[in-house]
Amino acid sequence: MNKETARMLFMEYLYDELEEDQKTELENFLDANPALKAELEELSNVRSMLSHLPVKDPAGQIVLVEPETNSWFNWWNNFIDSLILRSKIAKAGFALGMCLLLFISIASLTKMNVKMGSDGFHLSFGEPQTVQQGFTADQLEQLITQVKEDNARMVAQLVETAQEEQQKQFEETLINFADYVEQQRTSDLKLISTGLTNLDETYYDRFRQTDQVLGEIIQTVSRND
Amino acid sequence: MDSGQANNMEDAQLVQDFRGGDQQAFNKLVLRWQNRIHHFAYRYFASSDDAAEITQKTFIKAYHKLDTLNDVNKFGSWIYRIANNLCLDELKRAGRKKATSYEALKTAPQTKTASPADGAVLRNEALVLLHKALLQLPVDQRVVVIMKEYEGLTFREIAEILDEPINTVKSRLYYGLSALKKTFDSWNINKEVFDYE
Repeated sequence: MNKETARMLFMEYLYDELEEDQKTELENFLDANPALKAELEELSNVRSMLSHLPVKDPAGQIVLVEPETNSWFNWWNNFIDSLILRSKIAKAGFALGMCLLLFISIASLTKMNVKMGSDGFHLSFGEPQTVQQGFTADQLEQLITQVKEDNARMVAQLVETAQEEQQKQFEETLINFADYVEQQRTSDLKLISTGLTNLDETYYDRFRQTDQVLGEIIQTVSRND
Repeated sequence: MDSGQANNMEDAQLVQDFRGGDQQAFNKLVLRWQNRIHHFAYRYFASSDDAAEITQKTFIKAYHKLDTLNDVNKFGSWIYRIANNLCLDELKRAGRKKATSYEALKTAPQTKTASPADGAVLRNEALVLLHKALLQLPVDQRVVVIMKEYEGLTFREIAEILDEPINTVKSRLYYGLSALKKTFDSWNINKEVFDYE
């Protein structure tokens, strides 16, 4: 063994992964090489110091997979499990239920009728025979005629009512229009009358002013003469 | 059969149960492994947030990829590989910015300001510097130190996780411990500091 070979074994020696014979051989070699032994001791001290390094634990459960308790697959499995019958009574009950379901299905498809009368038990399939009930042809014709007459009478009455309503509305409209025209005419006449009065007053004022001015001019001319 | 083998068998059984449709089996795997993965990531980044994120991502990835695990007896190595790859991805993503944002180093003390007589203060400061020294290691050495020193994995297991030869793993660990020794010496940290209780 030389120094390089010894150094190659340092790590396994430090972490106790060396075979027993190699360990003995290395220790013997180190006893003969104090410098190398000191080097190994220093590395061991580093390990000792590193062991003090603090560490923090995670705050809590970091990742969790939700159990699929409500999945369709689980629901189906539970359903199938629940269908598996455990006792003979349950099996017999299930068979009876299935027979009843089958009977009802067939009865529904074949439209089966069952009757219990005084004369006995009747079983039939298909549509039940219907009994003719209602009016005769004459009665039906009379009824139709009656309905037609009633309808014609109702329509005539409605038309008459509507015409009367329209006539009333038309008359009201004419009256309103006449009132409006009268009001408008009265208003226009008042406006014309007021306008004429104002014109008259204006004309009179101007006539007076003109007279006054002419008088002043005449007086001025007389003085100058 | 040692406890490691028993744990492996239990993990393998849970993996098989999960593959058989038992969702709760994965929850059990999470409960068994989340502390280890969280500790691994915490030592990697010295950040609780990063550790929690890496742990979360690790199990999400494991959940989706568990069908691809060839040997169910190697679930441990497999999940460490996922976590390590995610740590590497995070380092690449965050880049150099990551190197200055470790919460363990926010209160990094100045060793010169501490009174030598105060053993408790020195010890606390030394604990912070311990993590700082670990973070200063090159990533390939750091991961080997963490896996060997704290996760207790064998050289064979580490080699398998990192997909490297065993001798490479041993060599990285040797250089990692040697580098740590130099760092501790330069910061005047020795093992007596940690003896103070």
